[in-house]
Amino acid sequence: MKRFFSDIKKFGNYIMYAARSELKAEVAGSFLSWLWWFLDPLLYMLVYSFIALLVFKTGEPHFSVFVFIGLNVWHFFSKTIKISVRLVALNKNIVTKVYIPKHMFILSKMCVQAFKMFVSFGLTAVFLICDGVFKDSVHISYKILYVIPLFALLFVITFAVSLFIMHFGVFIEDLNNVITVVLQLGFYASGIFYSIENRLKDGAAWVAKILTNVNPVAMIMADMRSVIIGGGNIHLLSFAVWSVIAVVAAYFGIKLIYKFENSYVKII
Amino acid sequence: MSETVITVKDVKIRYRYLKKISLIKAMFSLKKFAKTEYFEAVKGISFEIKKGQILGVVGKNGSGKSTLLKAIAGIFSPDEGEIDLHGHTVSLLSIGVGFHLALTGRENVYLSGMLLGFEREKIEDKMDEIIEFSELGDFIDRPVKTYSSGMYSKLAFSITAILETEIMLIDEVLSVGDAKFKKKSYDKMKSLIEDKDRTVIIVSHSIDTLESLCDNILWIHDGEMKMMGTTEEVLPEYIKFMS
Repeated sequence: MKRFFSDIKKFGNYIMYAARSELKAEVAGSFLSWLWWFLDPLLYMLVYSFIALLVFKTGEPHFSVFVFIGLNVWHFFSKTIKISVRLVALNKNIVTKVYIPKHMFILSKMCVQAFKMFVSFGLTAVFLICDGVFKDSVHISYKILYVIPLFALLFVITFAVSLFIMHFGVFIEDLNNVITVVLQLGFYASGIFYSIENRLKDGAAWVAKILTNVNPVAMIMADMRSVIIGGGNIHLLSFAVWSVIAVVAAYFGIKLIYKFENSYVKII
Repeated sequence: MSETVITVKDVKIRYRYLKKISLIKAMFSLKKFAKTEYFEAVKGISFEIKKGQILGVVGKNGSGKSTLLKAIAGIFSPDEGEIDLHGHTVSLLSIGVGFHLALTGRENVYLSGMLLGFEREKIEDKMDEIIEFSELGDFIDRPVKTYSSGMYSKLAFSITAILETEIMLIDEVLSVGDAKFKKKSYDKMKSLIEDKDRTVIIVSHSIDTLESLCDNILWIHDGEMKMMGTTEEVLPEYIKFMS
């Protein structure tokens, strides 16, 4: 573990610089392409709002903000996981020529996705303020500070899952297909454009219970909505349990990578 | 006696025939996974190098030279035995590591330099020298994708040559670019290699290069050490063996 932190210190500059470079390269191609950092979440929000409000006729209060929070959290998680499957192969040029702890690739990708997520949350804040001005049911309180531990948990969970996915992605060639399907399932099971609690009740309440209890991302999403929109509380017990699980998983993930990272180069 | 910089002790490196597996194939194949086979590329090699020495490594193709070099560079660890660099910095000379085509030459210098393990300040200090050596001029602030292949390799070479480490590992001596830059880069390599504070290991098939640069030669045959000694002792034997 000590080695992990000293590696982060050593390669911290590289992590940040590589992340910055990636973002820069994304927008270097054309004029105003940075606008996509805002347009992307905005358009997705509109698409899901359309489906939910017009097709399924299921709204939630402050629906735009509701969908935004869901999408922001989910995209951060799923995009990091998706890229992790092929991360070692994508960096073949680096991996075969210099030694770098492979976790650093994940951290760099997380920085890229985190930046996009925070841009998107900026947009969410604008919508929230508009909502708050026109409707008086938005209760912004000090409880909004709970988003900080929620973000921390989201980062650790994403990192932990990515570590395992990256490791197995080196050895299993069709893991990418599997992950795509699993993420798709996760997308619908996390309640991004519907509220699990409100939509799955009565006979389906047990499904809701399973969905919220086995899926930490759904829990983070629900808690973020609760503290941002309603000034509510977080589920303290679930939060504590998932924090412990996430830290333990990350610990073993880090050890796993250190143990096997030297053989990756022999395979790719 | 000068200090020991590299100690290689009983190093064995195996390639496990770890093929990628497919979940679908695994599900539908009734055969159990074949037993993992091993291929030992380096079979127990030991040697020491003192500060300032220039060691050439020879051997036919597939004898384990590059594998050994990569292990010393830390790209993968030996399966058995030890490699001790006594705390010295090391780099495997390779050009264009981590280059990002959409970024400018200057940004790529940072990116590549940081990957090689250098501090940002150190790269900043050396920036002017790198730009000057690469002869890129104003092109340094244009995206690398607009470079000609010659310009690309000039920049890549300059980064590696100017950001020097205490131990340099070289897989074939490089000379890149047009005729003029080829000479310049070869001379630069030579001066880097001949610096008396620097320890160098060179893998090469060029007898001329080894003869003119190295003071010691390690001859590897099928992953085992066949001979090690001064250039005058080992090279004639190797030439005789190969012809």
